[in-house]
Amino acid sequence: MIPDATLCASPEIMPEAAECPDENKRQCCKREYSRTERISMSLCSAREVLRMQKMSLVGLLLFLSFVLMAVFSEELAPFDPWMRFEPYLLPGSEHLLGTNDMGNDILSELIYSTRISLFVGFAAALMATLIGTIVGLLAGYYKGMTDEILMGITDIFLMIPQIPLIIVIASFLRPSFWIVALLMGALWWTSTARVVRSRTLQVREMGFVQASRALGFSDLHIIFTDVLPNTCHVIAPKFLLSIASAMIAEASISFLGLGDPTMKSWGTMINFAFTRGGFINGYWWWYLTPGLCITLFVLCVVLMGFAWEEQERTNQRLE
Amino acid sequence: MSLTAKRASRYIIALVIIFTLNFVIPRAMPGDPLTNLLGEDVILTDSSVIELRSEMGLDRPLFEQYLDYWHGILHLDLGYSFHRHSPVAEIIFARMKWTLLLAVPSLLTGGILGTILGALAGWRSANSCQKASTAFFLAIYCTPPYFLCLLALYLFSFKLDIFPLKGFYDTGSAADIALHLFLPVLVMTLFSLSRNYMIMRGSVLQEKSSLYAAFARAKGLYDAEILFRHVFKNALLPIITLLAMDFGFILSGALFVEIVFSMNGMGNLIYDALLSRDYPVLQGSFLIITLMVVSANLLADILYSRLDPRVRWH
Amino acid sequence: MNSRRPDDAPILQIEDLSVSFSTATGQVKAAENVCFKLYKGETLALVGETGCGKSVVASSIMQLLPNNAHIQGRAIYAGRDLLSLSEKEMSRIRGSEIAIVFQNPSLALNPIMRVSEQIAEMLQVRKGYPAAQSLELAGEMLHRLGLQGDDKMRMYPFQFSGGMNQRVMIAASMILSPRIIIADEPSKGLDGALAAEVMAEMARIKNQVGASLLLITHDLNLARNISDRMAVMYCGEIMEIGESEEIFSLPRHPYTAALLRCLPERGFQPIPGPSPSMIKPPAGCKFHPRCPNISEVCRRKPKMTRVEGRGTAPAGSESEIREVKCWRY
Ligand SMILES: Nc1ncnc2c1ncn2[C@@H]1O[C@H](COP(=O)(O)OP(=O)(O)OP(=O)(O)O)[C@@H](O)[C@H]1O
Ligand SMILES: [Mg+2]
Repeated sequence: MIPDATLCASPEIMPEAAECPDENKRQCCKREYSRTERISMSLCSAREVLRMQKMSLVGLLLFLSFVLMAVFSEELAPFDPWMRFEPYLLPGSEHLLGTNDMGNDILSELIYSTRISLFVGFAAALMATLIGTIVGLLAGYYKGMTDEILMGITDIFLMIPQIPLIIVIASFLRPSFWIVALLMGALWWTSTARVVRSRTLQVREMGFVQASRALGFSDLHIIFTDVLPNTCHVIAPKFLLSIASAMIAEASISFLGLGDPTMKSWGTMINFAFTRGGFINGYWWWYLTPGLCITLFVLCVVLMGFAWEEQERTNQRLE
Repeated sequence: MSLTAKRASRYIIALVIIFTLNFVIPRAMPGDPLTNLLGEDVILTDSSVIELRSEMGLDRPLFEQYLDYWHGILHLDLGYSFHRHSPVAEIIFARMKWTLLLAVPSLLTGGILGTILGALAGWRSANSCQKASTAFFLAIYCTPPYFLCLLALYLFSFKLDIFPLKGFYDTGSAADIALHLFLPVLVMTLFSLSRNYMIMRGSVLQEKSSLYAAFARAKGLYDAEILFRHVFKNALLPIITLLAMDFGFILSGALFVEIVFSMNGMGNLIYDALLSRDYPVLQGSFLIITLMVVSANLLADILYSRLDPRVRWH
Repeated sequence: MNSRRPDDAPILQIEDLSVSFSTATGQVKAAENVCFKLYKGETLALVGETGCGKSVVASSIMQLLPNNAHIQGRAIYAGRDLLSLSEKEMSRIRGSEIAIVFQNPSLALNPIMRVSEQIAEMLQVRKGYPAAQSLELAGEMLHRLGLQGDDKMRMYPFQFSGGMNQRVMIAASMILSPRIIIADEPSKGLDGALAAEVMAEMARIKNQVGASLLLITHDLNLARNISDRMAVMYCGEIMEIGESEEIFSLPRHPYTAALLRCLPERGFQPIPGPSPSMIKPPAGCKFHPRCPNISEVCRRKPKMTRVEGRGTAPAGSESEIREVKCWRY
């Protein structure tokens, strides 16, 4: 969902774009730069990177505070989110963000929801990264027919309208965050696969990989001990961006009421506020706060992801 | 295999796979396939259950059912909604025009403005005005579209009371429809704009350090002349397919916008179907959306190969 | 060959030009105290081994360096310092007064625009000519450089060989009849006969419009054949400057001599020792670590010194000036 756009300058910008879907275009896009040009380009964007890093530091701090909020929900939340008070209380000194239709304290709900929202985001991203990495490694390492087939599958997955598909499947099943996370993980691996593949194509031609092959190590051994460690740094930023995509998707799906009613997430909070009168009555503290949390968290993950991606690209250019 | 044949086969395979998925899902999911195909809460007598079962072909081998399924699809038969007592295809086509009314203008303006503004932002990336606009669009980019609607409604309908809260129209006059459409279209435009903006900005940032841009400068072109005569098209070409892939996501966004604004398009159709577990409508909508997304991809592919001389000549 | 009259004022005067780039690894001193004059109608060759800063000098004259470059010094053209002009003023000079041929023609041309349009565009933007007329003129120019035929006009850079693109770049640089043409390795990618032909055509057009040519090249023989004067650059500094024939027959600077000895017909001897770092160049004379006749004094910076030429021009005139940056003079 977060497309492979980037915020920064680089010759290989989106690996995706530079590496167009089919071989032919890819050839055309490929360019060779002379040494001086390469250096000059990398230096050009070095400043941009520095600036980006400042931004990503802000992102990192925000990110950490959200993670802390998820880990220490019990300590931070003033009340148990299921505890009932008088419903529809306005924000006051007792309940900073008031209470909802069930009389639950909204601030505590918000804090506890961090857990589920982050968990779904991380779980989905982890799974997507895992699938994407494996597909990318295999396609890039074996090339030829394997590559054709795996990339063909990737292209097909890219065309599936993901959210409608999740809606259809989830509608048949009992609402559960596990299923949502699993489905998203199974659908969002494509861009990771493409990036890992193009990196693997580079790495497999490097001296030490060739040497391992000459020494007769098995393919799997080479893939996991030689190639994988050298693709990690392109995987990490993709992982962050996958979290962002998954969080937005989770929020959307929960908003439709497909989330788990026994657990609270930011998306379900907005759903309840929307369907149970919070929106019509203009209780902004009920539905705007979880929304802002989503936006802020996605923003900080995206900032870090972009900065990291850019950093990697600079490093690679200097290589 | 020639390149075009290869590309075409990719689209056909994609469609076949997705359609097959649609066939498999109701049959593979837990629960009675009959319920899964008809929808829940459809009250049936025992005899009609048996009758329906054979009518739907559920008592025949899977492969025959599969062939039947394709036969139906090729005749634009997407099943029957027992909730709404009418064929799914009819329901969807009736609703689709409203969704298109919302999505097409916002996609177009979002696409055009997004690429132009994004290009400018990438070109003048050091300019503080552009930095501010990038921050603004980045924030929108990171927001779920329905939340954007809630924000807009909160601001313009609750606080400022300028725009109506919901629906496509009250009286049905053109001005009334326009008034009702304004906020949703605005949100949708911002949403698709922000996505195109970010993609285009990244692409221009890369292209502007290329040598041909420097040569354009050396030829005496000035600033925006270089951007729009040389860099723009070069930056746009490689991302056309990327933008098309995003189309599915933007379309899904439109569904959510409709739900928040209670507009009678596909989005609310899906939402209602979801609440009443009207599976035929859900699946039919999924198929139609898939078809739209795949055609958008195909279109982008064709566009790309016509616009890029390097592909055209090979 | 020497069309320049001794009393001519220089058309371009580079004074104390220094360029450094800030990089992650330190300041790259790509040019230091570069001084030279370019006279009307003459061809000045700037030669030196790869990475010595030739292209950087050319780009800084055109203000085409990236943001991380720090430029000092002056480049006086028509009474104005090019280095202090605004981007807008500079755009009026680029292409129409001073044109440049880039080193990498295949990368420097816009990949998705017809070559003829890339040339015609200059006429449209800078002169306001209508499209059809511009295209016609562009076609004529391409024709003169040996690319004839309607099909060639409609081609894209990727359909051309490097040499053909090189000629497109040359055509673009000359279409507005600039007063100065900077050609960075114009013969690269062209084979011997073609290189000679293209260079001859270039010289012809240049003479026709009375332009001056700053020729940047590795190819010493090309420099000798078509340049009036020659400047030898080493590690960002000009080591020797003078009339080409003279430099060839009597190189004064040890580096020039060493460079000439690299030529196949002069023994093919490589210069001993590694190329110096541009970040931490050797103190004093930058060539001293590799110099065959090094002495104690070489650890201090030498100055550009005038030496007697045995030129054909009348004594005392500018043309016979020969300057060398070496303590021996
Ligand atoms: N943008 C830049 N940033 C940092 N260093 C640069 C930049 N551009 C050039 N340099 C450095 O300046 C030095 C001179 O480069 P330049 O391109 O002028 O060499 P050159 O003499 O033209 O070489 P060649 O004959 O290979 O073209 C090189 O060491 C190069 O690394
Ligand atoms: Mg050079």
